[in-house]
Amino acid sequence: MIEVSNLSVTFGQAQAVRDASLTIPPGARIGIVGESGSGKSMLGLALMGMAPDAAQVTGSLIVDGAEMSGASERDWRRLRARHIAMIFQEPMAALNPLVRVGDTVAEPLRIHEGLSRDAALDRALALFKEVGLPNPEARLRQFPHEISGGQRQRVLIALALACNPGLLIADEPTTALDANVALRVTELLTDLSVRRQMSLLFISHDLAAVARATTEIVVMYGGTVVERGPTDQVLNAPRHPYTKGLLAARPRPEGLRQGGVRRRLPTIPGTVPPLEKLPPGCRFAGRCPVELPQCAATRPPVVDNAVCHLLAEGGAA
Amino acid sequence: MRRLPANLIIGGVLVAIVVGVAALSLVWTPHPENAMNIRGKFAGPSATYWLGTDQLGRDLVTQLMASARNSMAVALIAVLLGGSIGTVLGLLASAIGGWVEDLVMRFADISFAFPTLLFAIMLAAVFGPSLQNAILAIAFINVPVFARVARASANQIWTREYVFAARAAGMGRFAISRDHILPNIAAPVIVQATIEFAVAILAEAALSYLGLGVQPPESSWGRMLSEAQTLMYLAPQLAIWPGLCIVTAVLGFGLLGDGLRDITDPRLARER
Amino acid sequence: MGLFLLRRTIGFVLTLLVVSVVVFAVMNILPGDPALTILGLDASEDALAALREQLGLNQPVVTRYVLWVWHAIQGDFGVSHSFKVPVAGLIAERLPMTISLAISGMAMTLLIALPAGILAASRHRKAADWGVMFLSQLGIAVPAFWLSILLVLLFAVKLRWLPPGHFPGWSDPVAAIRALILPTVALGLVQSAVLARVTRSSALELMRLDFVRTARATGLSRARVLWHHVLPNALVPIVTIVGMQFAAVVTGTIVIENVFSLPGLGRLVFQSIANRDLPTVQALVMMFAGIVVTANFIVDLLYVAIDPRLKART
Repeated sequence: MIEVSNLSVTFGQAQAVRDASLTIPPGARIGIVGESGSGKSMLGLALMGMAPDAAQVTGSLIVDGAEMSGASERDWRRLRARHIAMIFQEPMAALNPLVRVGDTVAEPLRIHEGLSRDAALDRALALFKEVGLPNPEARLRQFPHEISGGQRQRVLIALALACNPGLLIADEPTTALDANVALRVTELLTDLSVRRQMSLLFISHDLAAVARATTEIVVMYGGTVVERGPTDQVLNAPRHPYTKGLLAARPRPEGLRQGGVRRRLPTIPGTVPPLEKLPPGCRFAGRCPVELPQCAATRPPVVDNAVCHLLAEGGAA
Repeated sequence: MRRLPANLIIGGVLVAIVVGVAALSLVWTPHPENAMNIRGKFAGPSATYWLGTDQLGRDLVTQLMASARNSMAVALIAVLLGGSIGTVLGLLASAIGGWVEDLVMRFADISFAFPTLLFAIMLAAVFGPSLQNAILAIAFINVPVFARVARASANQIWTREYVFAARAAGMGRFAISRDHILPNIAAPVIVQATIEFAVAILAEAALSYLGLGVQPPESSWGRMLSEAQTLMYLAPQLAIWPGLCIVTAVLGFGLLGDGLRDITDPRLARER
Repeated sequence: MGLFLLRRTIGFVLTLLVVSVVVFAVMNILPGDPALTILGLDASEDALAALREQLGLNQPVVTRYVLWVWHAIQGDFGVSHSFKVPVAGLIAERLPMTISLAISGMAMTLLIALPAGILAASRHRKAADWGVMFLSQLGIAVPAFWLSILLVLLFAVKLRWLPPGHFPGWSDPVAAIRALILPTVALGLVQSAVLARVTRSSALELMRLDFVRTARATGLSRARVLWHHVLPNALVPIVTIVGMQFAAVVTGTIVIENVFSLPGLGRLVFQSIANRDLPTVQALVMMFAGIVVTANFIVDLLYVAIDPRLKART
């Protein structure tokens, strides 16, 4: 069980994450979606105590009953791998090129659980089988450059599972992979979460993958949570203007061609401004198609899981 | 206006001091060069002899100034000689390509088997120790360094659009090298020259210390140190000043080169 | 893998051959009469003729080169002029001195530079980093022979802890080691300045890479990440520099042996220059250049041992 309340990550004047709150019960599968720069990856890193040194992290984070705000690096190390594990976007670069993948997976087992190399490699073999690596015995002795991108991502998942974490954070796990491989990695993550009763935090801008992997969605924009709710509900009946824009901008095979003419992909006008230029109120102000006068200056209230002034006024975005 | 990097400023100031002192020695020194005062040998600092005198009663400041001039002259000639030959070789390698380029680069690889000192030893063995041989040895070792820098930079320029335009207009390879490539590789070549200047000062000092460089009666920091070494129990102070001068000069040109690179190649600066 | 080794070995032998041609050419073809150089201007014509005959100078240059190489391969470098003994014997006597100085100097370099570079990288933009960078900038500018003189001034002249020079021989190991301490420190301190910088910048580059983040995410300590993940990957650029530095250390021994009057090849080469002993100088220069080329060849082999990706590619 992980409870995040009012978590902020600040770099000088710029707030990469502002007052994010999130509860992750055991076995939950939660998606975090948003454009690049929305703060979703920074939130993931903050949950691992791995925000950059220059960042100031405030707010409360309770992991399995332990308060982690102000924890030392030593405390964080005890938490990583055994309570929360994380996999990253680039499976190519995320593995040490000089170490056999079996030894990479065995390393945390030897360090944290004091296993011998042979015992740790046995466990690594079992993990390789669990994540569906073909020919797992041979894989143990291979180097990262000798296996494919999808297999590397499976190795990283095996590494993350090694010490039986309660939560797996997957930061854009499918972005660097081919569509077909991405689909299977998504299925694997969902599967593992169900089988192991392990919570999954699936951070992605790929709405299709998130829809498949999760039961709950958190939408972020400019470092703030703008909407949250059950996955079907948010994707089929979005309430926040930003979520609506995001969904409309999603490429849909049936929508691309109409009457033989290639239709332009709808996009949200403008681009995400740099963090320090974001308005103090609703961060979507300035790009929002249905903006009210008070939006830029004051923070919007929460209305049925969406955070929006217009909804509070009774309007429909 | 961007703030200048600290290494550029510090390096520039040190170089200005060293070069200024060397230039000043051409017109003025506190005492005539090599003027001996046997009764006043090993004197301590005084109003007449600011840093004192050596074992022959020569004024230390005067000898240090003359050494600065000699050191600058050796480094200047050696770097100019080796640098221009190397730059031309690099330009040719880049312009012609093919086996000429391979040959020049192979030559550059192999000449790294001969550090300056080794080459100076060969020349000294055949022709006897002399200043010319020291300069030749330092120049020789600069040739492959500049050939590599010039070729690498020139190869980049050859892919630019204005070079394509010049080729389309019918300009020859050598004319393009002279009119378009050379001006555009000037920055990295000058940066390299500044850094090699520091290396040359160090090499001159080492060769002179070993007796293969500046010969008497001309003075040199390296020679002053080798003389001071035999007098360490008698006059340890003599072993301090020439060394400080070498460090000042080498540090100055090294920092200046780094600083110039930082402002001419921002990509590298960010990585540091 | 086998092909890679073969190609590198052929390249190594070819480089040695070209280097031997250069050494031979500089010492034999450049204007000047070796016999005259050796005997001096006032030598009699008979003595000159006899010496030319003895040196084989009457044969064509190519024949002389081939003979020189052919004999050198068999360990015969001719007869020294000043010592009147085979050059090979002179070298064999002094080689252990130079080798032990070069190895201890290199070890000292690594011992200082690797921890200093890693320390600076792990304390990036903090006091320790600035300190290491400042010292290394200074170290690059300090000539090894001046540092040696300063060390002698302090530890031999003033404090009288260590001898100022000369080598008592290995029959008294304690005295021998004491005599080697200052030369080793002088050699290592100066050389480590460059290496510490390279170590720092490659470690900094690597610490930004994703696999470092992965390692931290599995709960490994910063020290373990640094030593088990960052340093091995930093070794490839470090090994390159170490190969080049070994060349600098070897030529450095020539200077250091002269500063401390140690009876090695560096002393021998200067005695030979003073005695106009051309065969000995020629053999020694070839020897030093050969050591440099061999060091670079070993570096090539080390790459393969360090980086499994190279094995696959070649």
